[in-house]
Formats: sequence, C-alpha cells, structure tokens
Amino acid sequence: MKKRKSRISRETRNNLVAYSFIAPNLIGFCIFTLGPIIFAFTLAFMAWDGNNPIQFVGLENFWALKDDTRFKAAFINTIVYAVTTVPLTLAAALGLAIILNQKVKGRDIFRTIGFFPYVASLVAVAAVWNMIFSPGAGVVNVLLTNLGVAREYLPKWAADPDWAMFTVVFFSVWKSMGYYMVIYLAGLQGIPSDLYEAGNIDGANAVQKFWYITVPQLRPTTFFVVIMLTINCFKVYDIIYMITQGGPGTSTLVLVYHIYQTAFVTGSNYGYASAISMILFLMVLLVTIVQFKGERKYANS
Amino acid sequence: MKNKRNMLSLLLVLVLTVALFAGCGQEDEQGSTGTDSTTTTETDTTADDATTEDTTSEDSSATSDQTTIKWAVWDIASTTYYQPLIDVYEATNPDVKIEMVDLGSQDYMTVLGTQLSGSDTDLDVVTIKDIPGYVNLVAKNVLEPVDTSGLDLSGYGGMTEQIEINDTLYALPFRSDFWLVFYNKTVFDEAGVDYPTNDMTFEEYDALAREVSDDTLGSEVYGSHYHVWRSAVQLFGILDGEHSIVDGNYDFLKPYYDMVVAQQEDMIAQDYATLKTSNLHYSGAFAQGNIGMMNMGSWFIPTLIEKIQTGEYSEISEGGNGNWGLVKYPHAEGVEPGSTLATITSLSVASASSNKEIATDFMNFVCGPEGAEVVAATGTFPAIKTDAVVDMIASKEGFPSDDASAEALKTSNTYLEMPIHEKSAEIEVILNDGHDYIMTGTMTVDEGIAYMNEEVGKILN
Repeated sequence: MKKRKSRISRETRNNLVAYSFIAPNLIGFCIFTLGPIIFAFTLAFMAWDGNNPIQFVGLENFWALKDDTRFKAAFINTIVYAVTTVPLTLAAALGLAIILNQKVKGRDIFRTIGFFPYVASLVAVAAVWNMIFSPGAGVVNVLLTNLGVAREYLPKWAADPDWAMFTVVFFSVWKSMGYYMVIYLAGLQGIPSDLYEAGNIDGANAVQKFWYITVPQLRPTTFFVVIMLTINCFKVYDIIYMITQGGPGTSTLVLVYHIYQTAFVTGSNYGYASAISMILFLMVLLVTIVQFKGERKYANS
Repeated sequence: MKNKRNMLSLLLVLVLTVALFAGCGQEDEQGSTGTDSTTTTETDTTADDATTEDTTSEDSSATSDQTTIKWAVWDIASTTYYQPLIDVYEATNPDVKIEMVDLGSQDYMTVLGTQLSGSDTDLDVVTIKDIPGYVNLVAKNVLEPVDTSGLDLSGYGGMTEQIEINDTLYALPFRSDFWLVFYNKTVFDEAGVDYPTNDMTFEEYDALAREVSDDTLGSEVYGSHYHVWRSAVQLFGILDGEHSIVDGNYDFLKPYYDMVVAQQEDMIAQDYATLKTSNLHYSGAFAQGNIGMMNMGSWFIPTLIEKIQTGEYSEISEGGNGNWGLVKYPHAEGVEPGSTLATITSLSVASASSNKEIATDFMNFVCGPEGAEVVAATGTFPAIKTDAVVDMIASKEGFPSDDASAEALKTSNTYLEMPIHEKSAEIEVILNDGHDYIMTGTMTVDEGIAYMNEEVGKILN
C-alpha cells in the first residue's frame, strides 16, 4: 500500500520552516519596536503623564508646536547639524579611504588609527575632547594664544553659542569617519583595475581619474553612506549630551534632546513629546523615501 | 579532522552555556545598593564602602518574615548619614530591613519620575531632591499625602507650609540646608588680608575678593568661586525677601550679575565657560586651595570635614586640621545679616508602595526629632533645627574652632531656593539658559535679563 503523504504539501512545509526561522526576530520586533511605535503614534493625539488617565486631545499637541520656541530651535539645529556633518564626514571618509588604498608604508596601522575613534568609548573620548577644547586651559586655545589671538577673540568652543555647533560637528565627523572609511575602502576595492588602465591609456591625470572613474563607480556606496549618515544625524543625542548638554541656551538643542526634556525633565508630557517624535519620524521617512526612489536610479542591481 | 571539529564545537557550546549561567548568577549580588552612582568627581572613602558592602550582603539574606523597605537616595558612597539612620531604625524595628536604591545624583529627579511611572514600582520611601521635581511628582499623583494628625510640625519652623500643594502636604522635610560663604584661611593669611566677617555687604564682599586675588600666571588665587549652578549667582537677589525667582520679572538680578560678571572678567573668579566644560565639582575646586571664598550650601560641611580627616583634601589642611572657616552670606544694604537661601530635602512615601504603614513609620522617624539627632551627629543639618542641634554641629570634631564660624550657623531669614509653582520646572529651564548666556558673555547682563523676562512671561501666561 502506498504510504499516505502528509496533508501539508511540501511547499507549505517549506514556507513554514522559513517562517519559523524569522519568527523569533519578528515577534521580538513586534513586541519591542512596532508596538511602542504604534503606541507613540496614538499618544501624539493624547495628553498623558504616565500615571493619570490618558485624555484624548486631538491635534492640540501639534498646534502647540508652533508656539514652542525650543522646538523651532531644535528643528533648525537638527537640520543644520545633518547638513554640515554629512558632507564633511563623507569627504573625510572618502579622502582617508583613497589615501589608505594606496600602497603606503604602515597602511594597516593607519587604517586602525583611522578606525579607532569609532570604536572608542563615547564618554571617555568626549571628556578628553572637552579638555582639549576647554576655553581656559585647553590645548587649542593655548595654541591660538601663542599664535597671537587676543584673549577676547578666543572662541569658547563648547560654551560659546557661535562655536558650540561647530565643536559638536567636528567631534562627530572625527568620531564616525573611521566607520565610513571602511565602507569606502570596500567600495574602492570593488572597482576593476582595468578601468584605471584604460584611463591611463587615454592619458588621464590623477584628478580626471578620480572624477570620471572613481566617483561614478562609488555611486552606490556613496548613496548608502549618505543615507546612513543622514538618518544617524537626525537621531543624534549622546554626542550632544556629552559635549554641550544642549549647548549654551538652545544653540545645540536637537530634536531628540528636546523630546527627552519634554517627556522626562520639565514634567512628564508624554503626549506632547510623542507629537514631536512623530515630526522626527516624518523627517526620517522622507529621507527613506528618497532612498527607495534613488535606489532604483543609482544603485546597481 | 572530523573528531577535532566535533570536539571544538562541543567545547564552544560548553563555554557559552557556562558563560550564560555565570551572567545570571551575578544579578543578586549587585542588588540595588551599588556604589557606582553617576556623580561628578567624588571619590569614595574606604569607610563608607565597607559599610555599604556589609549591607548588601545582609540584604540578600533577609528572612521571609521581614519586610524590606526600599529607599530611593543618591550618592550613598559620599553621604554620611544614611547608614546611621538605617542602623538606629533597624535596631528598634528588627522585622524591617531598609534597602537603599542609589539613583545617582546627576539626574536624580528625572530617574525617580521614571521609576515611579505606572502603578508598578518597588520603591517605598523616596527622597525628594528639589522643588520642581516635587511639583511634577505631585502632579502625577505618585506621592502619598502625609497624614499629619499625629505629628508635631512646629519643629520645622513653618517649612511644611512652604511645601504644601493645594493645601495638602505630600512630603516631610528631612534635611534643611542653607547657603554660607566658605573661606580658605591660608589664602587670606598669605595675602595679609583680614578674614571675612559675619556682617558683610555685597560691596565689602566684592572688595575683599578683589583684595585677596592674585592673577600671576601659574599661581593664580581666585578671590571668589561661583559653582556653575544658576543658584550660586541668581539667588543673591532674593535675600531681601521682596522678590521671588518665579516672579516673571528679573530686573532685581542686575546688580548681582554685574558684580559677578565683572569679577569674572577681572579674573577674580574662574571663567564659567571653562568650569562648565570641564565639569569641575565645587568640592574639587575648593580643595585645590587656590580659592579665597566660595558660596555654597551647608551640605558641604560634613563632606569637607570628612575628606580633611581622611587626608584627601591635603591642600587645605595641615596635619588633619582644616584651614577653612565659615561666615554668613553677604547681604544688601538694609537687609538683616544671616538672611540666606534654604533648600529642603524631604522624604515621601510612594502611593504605589505595598508597605505603606511601615514606610510611613520610617519616614516619620527619619524626619522627626530622633532622626534629626542622628543626622546632626554626622554634621549635617536636619530639618528640625533647634539651638541644641546647631551647637552639636558646631562642636563636632573637624568643624572650625573660631567663634565666627559657629555664629555663621545661626540664620535670620531663610528663603526657599525655588518656591512651589506648577510651572517651576519649565521656568528653571529658562533661568538656566539665561544664566548660561550671561555668564559665557554671549549676552550682556541687560540682554540676558530681558531674555529671561520675556521667556518666563510666555510661560506664565
């Protein structure tokens, strides 16, 4: 007698096996990430302080945004931070990668040195950074004084509203360029060398080779780096907290910092903080949509 | 080859499993009395470390018929009076174990607010560090109203009325500190200048600071030191009792800001921007021995005494005896000497606690006359401040022996640093910003005050 086949077809069984592999991650994601996100979205239309009953307030939270000077400052600062950090980090990472892709002596050591800031503990590095840029006794200001800059014109770096953002951006670029340098190195090593040989035959000099061969070949990598950088810049909090704590006044107040203060420091305004978080979410969503559209256009399949 | 690979993978699985269980085992030992608080540069004294560790090992063996009360505090390692209070209470109540939970001093009220969110909290007694956080907690309904029917509130000198919200008391005052001027006798001796007195006007204080300063590079002496808190400067203005920090109009701060900013520019006081970015704690600054006078709260007295005794603050002591003294806060013309700022630290019971009666009993003990004696014995000022308590502190070993210092402990009028106000937390943010702007020189004093007037006005309307 023919053995009866299991009622579940092979295809279904294969599907079940596949689902059971991704189930743990998916369940974890739903409970710990998706659930709270949906809760935050609903909270944006409510008023809640964590203990008293939740009250529905409709669009009142969003309406209050237009009078919140700190929110406006945070919004602008976040965009300024992103717009300055992304190109600078990109240029630094690309420059480092190109230099360290050549056959220079001690190349591996330099690659490690370039990657080290990314790996180092943020707290330790930020403390040292503050010491170096200390307005009174820091190395940088001592150097500037020796170069002849008068005491009144010395910038106060992290304690100076005009220079605080620069200090933070500088720190951010220095800290993360190692990571993107590694990504660019991988991208550079994926460029076939016969393209450069063809360029040599055509009589291209180094600059032309860079612009017409390296840059176009690196387009998918650059695209990925830009998107990663932008999204990370919108989410920045720890760097701001360690270096300036929101800056003198509101000069380095960013959206995530403002959300934290609204939700936990100046009274438990969870509803209003969720509304600001939604604005941040929409900003990041915009960037992601641009990525998806551009992926088809720029990335090789 | 295959055998070797099997052996290797088996070994890896074994190692990972052991590591997994080893990680589980650590949890109980750490407990909640960890000495790793997120504070500034305070270092632990070995004496305090030993006592705290003893408690940790005792706690994990609490028997089943004992109730454990969790007490939220900060800076266990550098606070001298927590353990004595617990010891006395546990001796008279053997069926109760008090376990301290250190939430760190830096963001204490924020962490506490988060811990008390929701109805499931295991904190029973909480220490209230500042008024804006207290107002927020009451608004969230997480603090149990105090049953004052059996208590004698007269010992608090009217303080309990100042912390009532909607005519209900939600916390009992536990410690009450006030601000004084700490001065370094060696600095004054070397400059040949008379010590500060208990009756100085602000002009005299300013002149004294300038006399004793020295700005030679490499051996600077700073006549005055203002810690980066806005209260170190702004609260000079409320000493006449006619203004409050939640008024909405801050023009009364101008003369004090003018004085301090001028001192900063003339290198009489250290630069605010440098202090802020270097996170220099006021204790570290004073201990360096190059500061003439520093205005700070009385909570610094026991820390100062202890660190001099252990030899840690060798720059300001000789052979274990400190070279520092105290005088009353300077006062404006026509204001009574001894008028100063007060801060209250209070205790409250969490409304979600499951041991409310025992927690309330512990709170009443700590904030009552018996607790006050224990606290005073360590050199800290309890909320119940009688003459006997003040004398006990003044006669404590390590306290400056001169009469002026003992006299400095007697205050005339005390004003709360931050009065109860429903928007106090938001106002605090603006005032901190304004202080930042003025002290870093971004805005002139007038511009900074105008900024504070405008922004706080928006909040109050």
